[in-house]
Formats: sequence, structure tokens, C-alpha cells
Amino acid sequence: MDVTFKVRRHDPRTGGKPSQQEYSVDLAPGATVFDALVQIREEQDGSLGFRGNCGRGFCGDCVVRMNGKLTLSCLTPVDKTVKDGVIAVEPAPYARQTKDLMYDDQTFLWDKYRAMKPWLVSDGAPAKPVTEEAMANVRTMMRCTMCGLCDFGCTVIDVDQGFMGPAALTKAYRFMIDPRDTATKERLTMAGEPKGMWDCVHCWEASEHCPVGIDPTHRIMDMRDLSVRHGIRSGKQNPKVARHYDSFAKSVKESGWLDEFKITMDTEGIMGSLRLAPVALKALTRGKVAVIHPKRSGAEHIKRIFEKVEAEFKAGQK
Amino acid sequence: MNKYAFYTGCVSKGACPELYQSTVAVAKKIGVELVEMLDVGCNGAGVLTTEISDPINARTLAKAEQMGLPIMTICSTCQGVIGAARLRLMNEQYRTAINERFLREEGLEYKGTTVVKHFLWILVEEVGVELLEGLVTNPLTDVGVSPFYGCYMRRPDDVIEQGGRKRYLEQIITGMGATNVDISGKGKCCGFPIAAADETNSLAMAAKHTGEAKDKGADAMVVPCPLCHLNLDGQQERAAASTKKELGIPIFHLPQLIGLALGIDPQELGIQRNMVSLTPVLRKLGMVKQPA
Repeated sequence: MDVTFKVRRHDPRTGGKPSQQEYSVDLAPGATVFDALVQIREEQDGSLGFRGNCGRGFCGDCVVRMNGKLTLSCLTPVDKTVKDGVIAVEPAPYARQTKDLMYDDQTFLWDKYRAMKPWLVSDGAPAKPVTEEAMANVRTMMRCTMCGLCDFGCTVIDVDQGFMGPAALTKAYRFMIDPRDTATKERLTMAGEPKGMWDCVHCWEASEHCPVGIDPTHRIMDMRDLSVRHGIRSGKQNPKVARHYDSFAKSVKESGWLDEFKITMDTEGIMGSLRLAPVALKALTRGKVAVIHPKRSGAEHIKRIFEKVEAEFKAGQK
Repeated sequence: MNKYAFYTGCVSKGACPELYQSTVAVAKKIGVELVEMLDVGCNGAGVLTTEISDPINARTLAKAEQMGLPIMTICSTCQGVIGAARLRLMNEQYRTAINERFLREEGLEYKGTTVVKHFLWILVEEVGVELLEGLVTNPLTDVGVSPFYGCYMRRPDDVIEQGGRKRYLEQIITGMGATNVDISGKGKCCGFPIAAADETNSLAMAAKHTGEAKDKGADAMVVPCPLCHLNLDGQQERAAASTKKELGIPIFHLPQLIGLALGIDPQELGIQRNMVSLTPVLRKLGMVKQPA
């Protein structure tokens, strides 16, 4: 199979502008993009820089963008990616580029992991036996190879690389639900600070990008649920998020549906609401803001659901 | 005649009344009968924990089941959240537990049969684009429109069920005689979910997507989600100011776009309520006089 690879090349150490280099490669059937890059380096151009080790999806080291799609090059068959005989290969975005397709993910990934304290914390009490059931979900998350694809595909990181990102947040959750760990509340507070779990837009991009089925978006939503169950709701530096949750929940509990005007006022406070006043006034003049918020019929049944679940949350916190 | 249990969501009854009125107007025009669900709750919108929202949504699904009708939503988030709850409630053990703990007291039981479909899906799958095209009296000729789906209309795959649904907006745009102006961000998040948690990022997302549509020459965008509309239309001026970008691109609610092509009076579609004026589009269509 003859395929043309158009590879983006750049060596920031020597200066110069990024360029595109073409390589024509005759590949064996079943070859992956990673196989092709190795073949190019061995047969045509020893100076081509790219990352990769195991070639089997275990090490998570070979993320590149192929014909626009971010994925592990070692798990991507050439025949499934090639378009009109061509595969364009570009480095993964956001992380600092070091050479050609190579990147340094220290600040992009590893510093964020470290901030989430990815190790077991014990209160010193004698260890108790753990059940298979309690470990099942932890094991799923232990499949993470730290490839960073969930972060590379993240909608929020796309506009703010300071966001903690699905990789580190999922790692934090993995320790929160580990029955051997005793720092769940501290971890929830930490992950609930600005740029943490409440900054996630739950767009499911992370889950779509994860190559090992951890479903990071779901895990972040699970972590939020866990946080509310523990009565934490947000980190100490993030009071607006807690106010938003409380007002949202109160509105649905009392009236069955959302009182958008009240939620905005409660969340933003007086100063914040003043900041939004020009938009609110314009909306008001166009009849877009409902100031009166009647109860829905059947609201008492919604309230009953809240009361039952909240009583359980309270019992669980004791 | 197609008949549905109409789940309006909160926003079409609050900050986006023009979505409600344009939906009702278009449904009437194309012969879709809507029975509004008045006694059901907010689905939780991905904010409330699933422990609370799943029983609320089981209740909604049970009510529609009692009515013998599929649910129609008009909001990506309502669709995604109720759709995901519906999927979990396919598990009989879980459904029975929810029924017994929460619904029985009210004399309700969810048997697991309710179908939940967004208006967009109904239009393409049940009404049919061809039928809609046949009803067009005012084709949106030479109007460039960028589609913008809202995350929950694209992902996750098990809730979306059919991959083809990720291309329905484009079919509607061209069916109404407009030109599809594709943007790479059409399946991304609008930024609304973090309006409270991180306003800077929320506005940056709104600016990015509206900016891309504008840069590609679109005259307008179309959204099937009122939350996307709140961020892309309602916050557009602030997004432009915070990112120092010139924006000013009108945002259609899905039924506003269709209604305009079907010859419904723009006032009836509530276009005067949009924050970014749709007048330039109407002018292009010759529906308002050129400025002197």
C-alpha cells in the first residue's frame, strides 16, 4: 500500500518556521500510523522526531493529529485513516512542542496530575479489607495510560489551558472512591476550586476521545454528585458555584422548575447582578425575562423527591 | 397526524419565550399536534445530582407513557439529560427501585416505553425534510447559515442513538433554501454551562464560535437549544467586548429559521425578542425596506 505522509516539521531550538514535508511510503497490510513513522525514520529520514514506545496502546505516548483527528498513532490503522492516498500528521495541540511531532507535557499534564495528589492518603487507622465490588470502578479508572487524549480534546482547555482538565480530575476521582483512601473530603474541596471540576462544561468530548473506555466526562459528573452528597458543593475559593447549585436546587424543589431571574441574582450577588444589568435590562424590554415565577402543578411531588434524597444524603454524611 | 407530549423545558417559558412561540407556530403550520406537559419538573440540566434528577425524569417519562405519547423536547440539554435518564431506566432493577421509592406514592409507574425526541429529530425523521421543503413559500435564498448543535445533540453516542442525527441541522438549512456555512465548532460547547463558574471561559467560547461563523461569511447561525441561544445571542455583546472581537451575528432558534421560510409572520416567531437583531437577514430577503 502506497501512502503519502505530509508531516509538519519544526525544530524550535534552531528557530525557523514550521514546514510540511512529504514522504511516500510503501506499507505492509495492517500497518499503523506509528509503524509508518518508524519506517520513515529508519528508511528515509533519521531526523524525524515523534513520540511512542510500546506500539500497543499501553504507554499512551504517541498522540498525534492525523487528518485532523486526535488519536494514538499506534492504535490507528493506516487504511482506516488514509484519505485520497494522503495522511496529514500534525503534533498534538496545546502542549509545548519540542521537535516535529514531539511535545513536552510537563505543564500541560503532569503538573496538573501532581496537584491532585495522585497517591493514597491514610489516616493511620489499621487497614480494613476491601471488597471486590468497591474496587471495580477504581480498576476501570486504573486503566488510564495518561495519554492525555481527553485533555487534548477538551472544549474548555481549547480556550483556557489553565483548566485542570479531565485527565487530572478523573485521577482525583479515582482516589476519592478508592476504599483505602481517607482524604475524600479534602480531595473534593481541592477539585472543587476554580479551574477544577465545576469548570467542566460536560460536553462529553473527553469521553469520546478516551481510548480505554474510562468515560472521563461521566467520572467528572460522578465526582460532582459525590461532592453534593458530602455537602461540599464547591471549593472554598469558589463560593459562586455553591450559591448557583443551592439556588438552582431550591428553585426546582419549591416550584418544580427554574426561576432563572432569582438564580442569577442569588449566584451573582448584588455587585455581580449590577455588572449584568445592561444585558438584563435589554432582555427585559424585549419580554425575555419572566419576573413572576408561579409554582408548577405537581410541584409537591418534586419536593417530595428532593426531601427523600436529601434525608439520605444527610444520613450518609454522619 | 403526529402528536407529542410537549416538554417545553424552563427556558422557553422564561428567558427565551420566542422559542416557545415559534415552536407552537411551526408545529401548527406543519400539522404536528402538541399536548403541553404542564405538571412535570425541570430535568436537572446536568446540575442536579442524578439521585435527584433520575426520579424527576422517571416521573416525566411515566406521565408521557400514561398519555400514550412520545415526548418532544426543544432543548439540547433537556434532550440529553432526559435521554440519559431514560437509558439508565431501561435497566429493570433500577427502574423498579425508582418506581417503588418515588413514583408509587403518586400512583405512577414508569414501564420503560417512552420515546424522547428533540423537535429537530422529529422534523427530519417523522415529518420529513421533503414535506417541509414543499411548504416553503419564502426560501432563504443567499442567506448563509452556520449550524450549531449544542453538545447534547452530538454526544454521547449511546444517548444520541443514530449517528446521522449529527447532520440534521445542515439538511434543514439547505431545505429552507439557505446556504450551509460549515464551522468546525458546530459540535462544541457554547459555554453556557460555566456562565457562573467561569464567565471568562464561557464568553471566550461564545466569541470563538460566533466569530468563526462570522469569519466564514455566515449571515446568521441556527441553534436547536435555548441555552446555546442565551450564550451565543444573549451574551454576544459581552463576549465581543471581553475578547475585543467584532461579532454581531444574529442567532436563529431552529423553529424561527423554519417559520421564516414557511412564510409565518416574523412577529409571530418572536424575532423582535432576539438580542442580536435579525433585521439584516430580513433585509437581505427583501422583507424589510432597504435603509434610505
